[in-house]
Amino acid sequence: MVNRIRTFINSCDLRRFRFWLQLLLFILLVYGGYAAINLGQNLPTFSCGYNQDGKGGVCYLLPLQHQLARGPASLFSWAGIAVLTGFLYFVIWFFVFNKAWCGYACPLGTIQDWITALRKKMGIPYASYTWEQFRHLKKIKYALLVLMIFIPMGIGSGIFSHDMATPFCMICPGRTIIPLFTGDFSQLTIDFSSKTKMIMTTLGMLVTGLFFTGSFIKKRFFCFFCPMSALHYMLSKPAFLKLKKDGSKCTKCGDCYSVCDMQIKEIADDVDNINILQDDCIMCLKCISACPEEGCLKVNFLGQHVFESTVDGYIKRMEKGNKSE
Amino acid sequence: MNRLLMVTSSGWKKEIKVSNDPKTDEKKTAFNLTHQAIEAESMLRRIKDDFPDNPESMNYFYDLYQQVYCEGRSVYDKEKIVGTMCVQVPEELIYAAGGVPVRLCSGFYTDDQHGAEFMPAKSCSLVKATLGMLSNKSTLPFINKVKTVVSPTTCDQKRKAGAIIEEMGYDVYNMELPPLKESEEARLYWQRSIHKFSVSLKEITGNKITKDSLKKAIGKTAAAQKAYRKLHNLRKETPPVLLGKDVFMITNAYFFDKIENWTAAVNKLNEELEQRKEEKFSAAQRRAPRILFTGSPAIFPNLKLPVLIEESGGVIVADENCSSNRMLYDMITVDEWNMSNMVDGIADNYLKPCTCPIFTNNDDRKRKLINMSQEFAVDGVVYQTFSGCQVYSMEQSSITKVLRDEGIPVLLVESDYSPDDMGQLSTRVEAFIESLKAKKRRK
Amino acid sequence: MNYFAGVDIGSTAIKIVLIDDTKNIISSKVTPTGSQFRKNAVDALHAMLADCNLAFDELAYVISTGYGRKLLKEADESVSEITANAIGAMEAGREHGVINTIINIGGQDTKAIQIDESGTVTNFAMNEKCAAGTGKFLDVTARNLEIELEELGDYHLNLKTAPLPINSTCVVFAESEIIGLLADGHGKEEIVAGIHYSIAKRTIRLAKRVGLEGLVYFDGGPALNKGLVASMEDELGKKIVIPDFPQITTALGASVLAYEAYLDEMESA
Repeated sequence: MVNRIRTFINSCDLRRFRFWLQLLLFILLVYGGYAAINLGQNLPTFSCGYNQDGKGGVCYLLPLQHQLARGPASLFSWAGIAVLTGFLYFVIWFFVFNKAWCGYACPLGTIQDWITALRKKMGIPYASYTWEQFRHLKKIKYALLVLMIFIPMGIGSGIFSHDMATPFCMICPGRTIIPLFTGDFSQLTIDFSSKTKMIMTTLGMLVTGLFFTGSFIKKRFFCFFCPMSALHYMLSKPAFLKLKKDGSKCTKCGDCYSVCDMQIKEIADDVDNINILQDDCIMCLKCISACPEEGCLKVNFLGQHVFESTVDGYIKRMEKGNKSE
Repeated sequence: MNRLLMVTSSGWKKEIKVSNDPKTDEKKTAFNLTHQAIEAESMLRRIKDDFPDNPESMNYFYDLYQQVYCEGRSVYDKEKIVGTMCVQVPEELIYAAGGVPVRLCSGFYTDDQHGAEFMPAKSCSLVKATLGMLSNKSTLPFINKVKTVVSPTTCDQKRKAGAIIEEMGYDVYNMELPPLKESEEARLYWQRSIHKFSVSLKEITGNKITKDSLKKAIGKTAAAQKAYRKLHNLRKETPPVLLGKDVFMITNAYFFDKIENWTAAVNKLNEELEQRKEEKFSAAQRRAPRILFTGSPAIFPNLKLPVLIEESGGVIVADENCSSNRMLYDMITVDEWNMSNMVDGIADNYLKPCTCPIFTNNDDRKRKLINMSQEFAVDGVVYQTFSGCQVYSMEQSSITKVLRDEGIPVLLVESDYSPDDMGQLSTRVEAFIESLKAKKRRK
Repeated sequence: MNYFAGVDIGSTAIKIVLIDDTKNIISSKVTPTGSQFRKNAVDALHAMLADCNLAFDELAYVISTGYGRKLLKEADESVSEITANAIGAMEAGREHGVINTIINIGGQDTKAIQIDESGTVTNFAMNEKCAAGTGKFLDVTARNLEIELEELGDYHLNLKTAPLPINSTCVVFAESEIIGLLADGHGKEEIVAGIHYSIAKRTIRLAKRVGLEGLVYFDGGPALNKGLVASMEDELGKKIVIPDFPQITTALGASVLAYEAYLDEMESA
C-alpha cells in the first residue's frame, strides 16, 4: 500500500501539482486577510505587508528592517529580545519547508511563473545567463542582504535619515506589484517629498519595470537577486525538507541542470555530496521530475520520502509534455 | 533488376543478375552465396541452435536477420536512408527531416578483409569492415540507397575513415564533437553543431524540420527507449530471464530495423519476459556467473565473444557497449516544447551522459560500470579490445584498477574479426568463468 | 577405493595422471600428441590402466584439459588448463608452502597464473598469438645446435663464461641468428645459455603482469631444463619451486578436480 502511494507520487505531473499549490498559497497570502487569516509577521516569503487589506501574513523583512532601525540603545537592551524572538519564529517557519517557500509559496515567485507561462504560450524561447554573467550576478543578493541589515541600523544610529526607512522594501517589486492584486495602485508612484524618497521610489519603479521585462525573458529573473534567498541559504542546513542526491546513480546527463529555472550547474555536476541544495535553489523540484535515473534525486521531510526521481515517472512526464504543448 | 557483383575467394568477379522480387526465388539465391551471407548464417545458427529455450518473441529478430543478412532483402523500400557512423548522431533530427537513420558499423569479417585495402594492417576491425562494406556497394541490400554518411568526430580512425568514404563517392557530413564534455563551452559547441546539422538536413533529405515533425520524432525514439529500458531492468533478475546473446541481437537490430516494428517486438518480448519472471524461469544454469560485457562493440555477426562466454557457462546480464546499451539508454528531456529547446535537449542527450572513451575524462564511464556491476549483481567483467583500437586499450588500466578496487574481477581480451583466435579465446574465457564459479562456490 | 584420472591434451604431449581417494598419484604417463590426439589419448589411458590392473569402469570420474579437452568424449567433464594447472600446483607445491604464482612454459604457449590459498585463480596472463619464449624456442635451438633437448640443461651449466645476448625474440628469426653465431665461432654453451636468458626475461616480464610476490612455482616440460631454471631464478632474484615431475602438474590438477567433482556429485545425490 505504501509502495503504491509512493509510486503514485513519484509519477505525478509535477507541473500541474505545482500550479494548483502555487495558486492556493497565492490566494492565501494575498487575499487571506479578507478571511481574517493572519499567519504572523515572520513569514519567510514575500507576502507583502504593503498589501494592507488582503495580506494573510507579513514578509519578515518588513518588521526586521523596522526593528533594526530602532537604534542601538533599544536593540541591545531587553527590548532587543523581541528582535530575537521574531527571528526565531522566522527560522521555525523557514525550517519546515526550507527553500520550497520560494518555489511554491512566494507570491512574487508565482507571478514570475505566470509570466513564464504566458511567454511559453506565445512560443518565445527563454534566455539564459552565460557562466561569466552568472558568477558575478550571484553576488548581488548577498550585497543587498548586507545593505538591508546595515542601512536600518545606520538609521537607528543617526547615520542615515529616516527617509531611508525600510530601504529594501522601497526597491522591492513586492511593494509595488502585490497590492495591485487587491486593487491598490497607490504604491506605483514616485514620492517627491524628499530627495532620498524620490531616489528610492524611482529605483522602486525601475526595479518593478525590470521585474516584468526580466521575468518575461528569463525564468525567475528576480530570484537571482533576492536577499531573502541569501538569508534562507545561510540557515538551510538544519531545515526539515532536504534535497538529496545519490551520486553513484548519476549519469551526468545534465537534464536537471537544463530544466533548472535558476541555472544551477552543481545539481548535475556534483556526484560526491549527498545534500545538494545550492544558494539559488528555489526547491521547485523540477530537477527531480526531469531526472531519468531511479532514486538519484529526491526530497525528504525529516528523513521520510516525499518525492523521488523514477524512470516510470520521468517517462510519463515526458510523454505528457510531448502530447500537450 | 540489380546486377550483383560477387567477389569469390580467389578474387574473381562474377556478375549475377539479382531481383528484389521475393517471387523469383531462384534468382534471389545469389545473395545467399556471398561470404557475408555465409558468415551471417553461421553465427545466426549458433545463436539459435546452440542454446535451449529461446523466447518465442525472439523469432521476430531471428527472422529479421535471416531476411536482411542471409537473404539480402531490406526492410526499407522508398525511404531516404541516412548512414550514421557513431552513437552520437541524433536520430530524432533525421526522422524529423523525413529520413531514416541506419547505423553503418559493420560486424562482417568479409568486409573487414575488403576494407584492409584502405587502412593500415594494425587498425580497428570495425572501421575496416565499415569501409569494406561501403566500398562494395551491392552486398547489403540497403547500402545501395545510402548517399549521405553522417560522421561525428569521434576516434581518429573513424574520423580518417570519413575522408576515405568521401573518396568513394559518398557525401560525408562531419559533425563536430568536442573532445571534452564537462565544460559549458563543450556543451555550447555541440549545441551549435547540432543546430547546424538540423539546418543542413534540409539539403540531405529535402525536407525541413518542423515543430510537429520533431515532436513526433522524439516520441518515436522515446517509445523505443522506453521499451529498451524495461528490457534492461528485466535483466537484473535472479535467475536471469534472458541470455546476453539475444540482447545483442535485439540491440544490433536497432541499427537497421524499422523503429516502430522494433519497438513493438521489444514490447512483446518484455511481456514474455515478465511471464518468465513470474514463473522464476531461468535462462541459464543456476550458478552461472553473471557477466558485464564492455569495451569495443560486439556487432553481428562478430558476436563470437559473447556467445563464447555463454557457451562456457556464463550469462551476460549487462553490457556497456556502443552497439547496445549506450545507444538506447539515455532519454531526451525537454523543458519547453519549442524548436530551440527541443534541439538543445537533443544535443545535451547525445553529449553529456555519453560514456564513449573518446572523451578525455572517463570518470562517467568508471562510475557507470561500477553502478551497473552493483545493480546487476555482476560477478565479473569481460573487457574486449579490438587490436588497433587505441581508445579502449588505453583505458584498460584505469578501468581495470577501479573495478578491481571494488572487488570485481576483470578479464581483458584482445581480439579482432578474424575467426582464427577461437582457441586462445576459449581458454581464457573458460578459465575466467571457472574462477568465477569457484569463487561463487566458496561464498 | 575410487580412482580419478586427469588427461591433459597439450599441443606437443599428452599427460595423464591417475589418483585415488587419498589424492595419491597411482600412476602417470607422458606420451607424444601426434596427429590423432583423440585416439592417442584414449590408447594411452587404456595402456596406463592396464599397467595398474584397472578397468576403465573403475574410474569414478575423468576430467580432460588442454587444447583438445572438448573432444575427449571419454571424459566426464572438461576444464581449462589454467584452472587445472592452478589446482595441480597448489597440491604439488604444498610441501614447499603456499604457492602464489605459477609460471607454465608449454610447447606453444606461456602462462602466468596468480592464485589464492584455496587454489582459485585470481588473475592470469598468456602470451599473445606468438610462440616466442615457449618450448618451441628450445626445440629449434636444440635442433640447430644438433644436440638433444635433454642436454640443453647440461650445456648451460657447463658454461664458464657469460651467456651470449640473443637479439631475435622471434623463434623463426632466431634460427638464422644461431647459425650465424655458430659460424662466427661461438660455443654451443654460450648460445644455449643466451637462449635460456632470452626466454627467462620474456617469461618474467609476462609474469610481472600478474604479480610475483610470495612463492613462485614453475611447471611444464621446459621446467626439466636445469639451465632454464637457473636463468629464471637469476632474472627473478629468488628461488623457484620446481616439482619433481613438472610436466604432469596440469594433469594432476585435472585429476584432483575430478575427485572433487565426484564428491560434489555424491553429496548432492
